[in-house]
Amino acid sequence: MDKALYIAMTGARHNMLAQTNHSNNLANINTTGFRADFAQARSMPVYFGEGSPTRAYALTESPTSDFEQGPLNETGRDLDVAINGNGFIAVLGHDGTEAYTRAGNLVIDANGFLRTGNGLPVLGNAGPISLPPLEKLEVGADGTLSAVAIGQGPEAMVELDRIRLVNPDLQNIEKGQDGLFRQRDGLNAQPAAEVRLVSGLLEGSNVNAVSAFTEILSLSRQYEMQVKLMKDAEQNSEASSQLLRIS
Amino acid sequence: MHAALYVSKTGLAAQDKQLTTISNNLANVGTVGFKRDRAIFEDLLYQVQRQPGAQTTQDTQLPSGLQLGAGVRVVATQKQFTEGNLQITEQSLDMAIDGRGFFQILQPDGSVAYTRNGQFQRNSEGQLVNNEGLLVEPAINIPEGAVRVTVSTDGVVNAFFKGEEAEPQQLGDLTLVDFINPAGLQAVGGNLFLETVASGNPIQGAPNENGMGKLVQGALEGSNVDIVEEMVNMITTQRAYELNSKVVSTADQMLQYISQTL
Repeated sequence: MDKALYIAMTGARHNMLAQTNHSNNLANINTTGFRADFAQARSMPVYFGEGSPTRAYALTESPTSDFEQGPLNETGRDLDVAINGNGFIAVLGHDGTEAYTRAGNLVIDANGFLRTGNGLPVLGNAGPISLPPLEKLEVGADGTLSAVAIGQGPEAMVELDRIRLVNPDLQNIEKGQDGLFRQRDGLNAQPAAEVRLVSGLLEGSNVNAVSAFTEILSLSRQYEMQVKLMKDAEQNSEASSQLLRIS
Repeated sequence: MHAALYVSKTGLAAQDKQLTTISNNLANVGTVGFKRDRAIFEDLLYQVQRQPGAQTTQDTQLPSGLQLGAGVRVVATQKQFTEGNLQITEQSLDMAIDGRGFFQILQPDGSVAYTRNGQFQRNSEGQLVNNEGLLVEPAINIPEGAVRVTVSTDGVVNAFFKGEEAEPQQLGDLTLVDFINPAGLQAVGGNLFLETVASGNPIQGAPNENGMGKLVQGALEGSNVDIVEEMVNMITTQRAYELNSKVVSTADQMLQYISQTL
């Protein structure tokens, strides 16, 4: 059997995987704080068995996410925060470990815990942040939470806690299976004082619709070329079986 | 089949839900006491197709693996409890809450629902009811012959009778309730909200005290829907929908191509 058939097959298969990656980016074009994932192809030479190493398979991989800043959309809600520049908000993931996110649509639950829009507790100076019943909450630029308690006047503003903001090395950050970011080395990042929060805004998804869609289209044409090669391999083998036929 | 098909399907479904939310907000742009909703998007789980660090040869490893996302979902809709505009109506039984808090409305089954809509009326027995005829809690009875009803900012309701303007009759005190997490209330239509586990227990109090808002007689709180914002959201939703449907058709054409070519 012609080896070209298998090489074209891996090419087509990995084109589809890369397309899935880009379609996930497009599906999340309106997701608050979403970070687009890159996809790249790597050639993997085949060095097994006899013969000279003439073949290389294509292999798609998602090396990292795009950490460009997304657009800041004004919402006017006190509990909507966005990070201006680099950095992440520390939250407690569903698995109980510390994780990082850029999505700052926060809510206060019935027990006074500060949570993200999808229900993850936000971490403060010492574990999850819990707040007393309050009239107004202000989020400072460094994540400091100050509030006016119920029944107090604006002169009684008290500092309650501080949202843990981290600024880990982006080389050391990866997206986990729950879509949250963690450090590759498994350690927790140190709190960083230089991360800046702005209140009343939300950071949108940083997916560029045009480039994601262009990638999908170009992968689609690439895929067609791979299929064409498969067809050629089939025709070659047909021709050789024609030659060998006893007429 | 092609995984991209299913991923873009989640994108389409999420944009659908978003559009439903937007259209409901726009439909209620004139509803007294309405609070707008916001859909919250979340990326779905990621599947690890290949772990980073797999051996490529005896002593080399792949620097990065392949991890594919499964799309997006709408995880929640969140009520935005910002205040709507005060509209002066000059009706003596129209009330708005300037600040936090909710009016209490007695449901037919005896439970209490909560509302920001203070458009109240008298029924045939003189009781204070909302537009659907449900009683306001605490009950206020306006006797026959009352020419004027006044509501103070802290909820005291007085009635004035002809010839006795110097001695108003106190009909009762309106109280408000507040919740630690108003966004957790369940909207049940008719401008009413119900208490849930997420909202916490109702905290009762007099208006204008302990952080409750004050009552404004002769005014109503309009809907807090911002038309421009909803329109902009509608545009982005529509375009996101188109892009995702384009991906579906692209994936479809690829499958068509391979089945026709080979």
